[in-house]
Amino acid sequence: MTALRTVQITRRVDPHLSIDRYDPEGELMLLHFGPQHPSTHGVFRMDLYLDGEKVVKVVPHVGYLHRAVEKLCETLAYVQITPIVDKNDYVAPMTNEQALNMAFEAALKLEVPRRARWMRTIFAELQRIASHLLWLGTFALDLGGALGGGSSVFLHCFRERELVLDLFEEVTGARFHYNTHTIGGNRHDLPAGWSAKVKAALDIIGPRLDEYEAMTLENRIFLDRTIGVGKLDAELALELGITGPILRGCGVDHDLRRDAPFHAYDEVKVNVVTAQGGDCLARARVRFGEMRESVRLVRQMVDAVPEGSINSGKPVKLPVQSKIPPCQVYVAIETPRGELGTYLISDGTQFPYRLKIRPPSLHALSALPYIIPGGTVSDAVAILGSVDPIMGEVDR
Amino acid sequence: MKSYLATAARALATTFTNAFRKPVTVEFPDVIRPRAERYRASFALLHEEDGDEACIGCLQCERICPSEVISIKAGGKRESPITGKKRGYADDFVLDLNACIYCELCVQVCPTDAIVMTREPELPAFGREDLVLTMAKLYANEKSKHRAWGDATRLNGMQVPPKPPKAEAPAAVSAASATGAPATAAPSARTVAPAAAATPASSGASSAPASATALPAASPPASSPSAALASAPVPPIATPGAAVVPLPAPDTAPGQGPAGETPGTAPAVSTAERGPVPPDSSREGTS
Amino acid sequence: MNEGLVHGAVYSVLIVTVVLTATAMALWFERKFAARLQTRLGPTMVGPSGLLQPVADLLKLLQKEDIVPEKADSIIFNLVPPLAALTALGAAAVVPFSPTVVASDLDVGVLYVLAIGAVTVLPVFGAGWASNNKLALLGGMRAVAQSVSYEVPLLLSAMVPVILSGSLRFGAIVQMQADHHWFVVWPFFIGVPAFGIFLLAMLAEANRIPFDIPEAESELVAGVTTEYTGMKFALFYMAEYIHTIVASAVGAALFLGGWDGPFWPGLHWMVLKTLLLFTVVYWVRWSLLRFRSDQLMGLCWKYLVPASVLLVGASAAWVVFR
Repeated sequence: MTALRTVQITRRVDPHLSIDRYDPEGELMLLHFGPQHPSTHGVFRMDLYLDGEKVVKVVPHVGYLHRAVEKLCETLAYVQITPIVDKNDYVAPMTNEQALNMAFEAALKLEVPRRARWMRTIFAELQRIASHLLWLGTFALDLGGALGGGSSVFLHCFRERELVLDLFEEVTGARFHYNTHTIGGNRHDLPAGWSAKVKAALDIIGPRLDEYEAMTLENRIFLDRTIGVGKLDAELALELGITGPILRGCGVDHDLRRDAPFHAYDEVKVNVVTAQGGDCLARARVRFGEMRESVRLVRQMVDAVPEGSINSGKPVKLPVQSKIPPCQVYVAIETPRGELGTYLISDGTQFPYRLKIRPPSLHALSALPYIIPGGTVSDAVAILGSVDPIMGEVDR
Repeated sequence: MKSYLATAARALATTFTNAFRKPVTVEFPDVIRPRAERYRASFALLHEEDGDEACIGCLQCERICPSEVISIKAGGKRESPITGKKRGYADDFVLDLNACIYCELCVQVCPTDAIVMTREPELPAFGREDLVLTMAKLYANEKSKHRAWGDATRLNGMQVPPKPPKAEAPAAVSAASATGAPATAAPSARTVAPAAAATPASSGASSAPASATALPAASPPASSPSAALASAPVPPIATPGAAVVPLPAPDTAPGQGPAGETPGTAPAVSTAERGPVPPDSSREGTS
Repeated sequence: MNEGLVHGAVYSVLIVTVVLTATAMALWFERKFAARLQTRLGPTMVGPSGLLQPVADLLKLLQKEDIVPEKADSIIFNLVPPLAALTALGAAAVVPFSPTVVASDLDVGVLYVLAIGAVTVLPVFGAGWASNNKLALLGGMRAVAQSVSYEVPLLLSAMVPVILSGSLRFGAIVQMQADHHWFVVWPFFIGVPAFGIFLLAMLAEANRIPFDIPEAESELVAGVTTEYTGMKFALFYMAEYIHTIVASAVGAALFLGGWDGPFWPGLHWMVLKTLLLFTVVYWVRWSLLRFRSDQLMGLCWKYLVPASVLLVGASAAWVVFR
């Protein structure tokens, strides 16, 4: 990790200060933002205390999408858990599965074959492109409205995202919840002609990224809405455990793909994209840069996938066969949202004793009470969009 | 002010150019989008070539399903009306599509390739009861829907390519390194799979995790943290073994499986053209 | 007097009918146009190429349950939707669609139009207030601030054709453009900027993107119309379209020469120009993101108002020294 370069924040809001201290006469207006709202990125509630249009205090509430996934996993055999954690970060399921299976492989001390590691890298990078395209579409929706320019950007992004999903459909058979990773490697091998399709899709997506930049990053209205909005300083981000594009948007050069390589990242060079400023624009720039970097990485890797088997374990026939010896293991990977970690405690049976998932979006949401106050309601929406939380992984 | 006008003009120009692109809308249901070979949308139960039901009621799919959507009434061992041998049957097989998560695990664990997924989904229905696939419906899907490419043999074959007979080792290696598609070139693909699975110790304890093909000598890469552990024996996973029914050798040419896939770039086919699938003579037929 | 009354009544009914029909067509046109900009098809199933989609939408909205919140101010709540549609229609009374087709060619036509523009704010604010809903209230407050502010550049830029033609009467303005040049053609250095400011102010008055913060869907669910259901919501929706069509007609008459054309002047040119402005409004809507309310205000008071004041002075100087 390189040295920090922090953004100077003169005064930091104390989100734990009770509202009675802010406003003893009760003149502020309390607005519940969500959970039913067109732009809260899932079911999420923010209590906004408003002075006119200015936000004074923010209290976020999570848990509306809690599905007891971790408890459910305690009753499922290891081989059955992969399709369940697909649904956590439902925008980037590949990386969910990878984080989970890497934990199992670390517990079993199983070596993943090189071909599988390359395939996992390619899938992760393609998933990063798809996830950031979705982020861009929903961010434009937040800023520009479902009946307006935002929806144009949204539909264009989804048109390109469909190309990536088609590629995944070719390999795994599913467009969304793949269940293509397993303990010891992957379940589906690349079909013939897949790399040509990947390159064709990237040939379309690459130039379209310039179009999206023209409609957003270089658009004066977009810049007005995002410059200086939601400034997050690097120290606070590190204190809160924020990782991913948000941290890199504060100027901190930290990326697990390069600093703690997993899959095949130790065989390729990852150019980590950072931006200064810590505001919404910096985060947007980081994500755009990551998209371009992912396009470059996939193009470089898809023709050079090594031969070999894709699974060093055996396909499990019965749940009782997937036993893991007693151990504790924590494995983390870099998803489009940040560091996704899986903490596994196993007691020797075929069910995990405790499976904990460390979601990056939860830590990102904990920054909201610090960065939203001081702006207007419109800024709150823009900040939430730039933080890109996925409630599925926040609540699990 | 000027930058507002300039960037607004640029945004207007972008949408203008998009107006002249071909619309990406697929007018469902008049036009059905072609799906990939491996697309998983619904289920079918299959018959063997000799007409006997392939499902032997081993209950493995019921056990592996994470959502517990499969309910099987095992029928015990009976004499088969076709071959005359005693074998297991399933008296009732119900798959609740309402709760299915389409994870393909049931397909992967089936020892007889009895349950497969299909490429066409079920039609939307007005009640949840209509989405509970009964045994009759599952067997009907065998004829009325296109099968997905993946069945148990192929999925397992992708993950653990069967060891070719020693004499064919060079040929198998060159075939495997062709396009990266898994090598199921051995004609005895079906019988090799159980054989390979029945000897986990021999294949699992081999030095490199990849047994069928030759990796470069310097496998795994030096920076891998577990380089020293690469030669550790893979924990043996027991095999079901006992309930596998010896299957007749497939009559299709060996190279047809994965290499015969067509990329899913066929133009959109309207429903009128598609029609029901005629009974396939080959189980692995790509349709 | 009787004749003028009959004449006015007949043409009023005619124009109202045409404008309402145009609203229905505008619904279809917008959806198809927006779809093309987004590389998709838009409505295709209802009627040939989706032409009956507005009918389907109307029937759908008619059969929805009509909900009035318990603590809402029900008098204002119920009164406001038809008022919104009617006030939007009001400005169409003075626009000359052709040398003979005009409902009532008032001597103070431009003043009347601007006054109607001011009145259109009231139903929006009434809806925000009467809904007893914080989101609607926020939307209503923003709408008032925005509309009242953008009245000023609207008025000032509308003064430019008035000064150049020397009359507040629409008929005279269009006649002057027919006799000489359209104001965007000559003097273009005054006409084009004035037209631009008028267009922006018109977008803000009609709450269109990039100025649609009062009904910002991603922030305020549906803004002022959050609590409205069924036909009342349909009336607000229609009011938006009517407002856009009528404002396009006004803009075409003031700056683009109205019913004048290079050959065969008449009604068809007016229709064409209105359609053109309408298309531009929707093109802008489906391409741009929205301003924040303080940036909106900044744009108005810091850029548009000084520019329009200068343009008024320039047009006065032009008339004097021509």
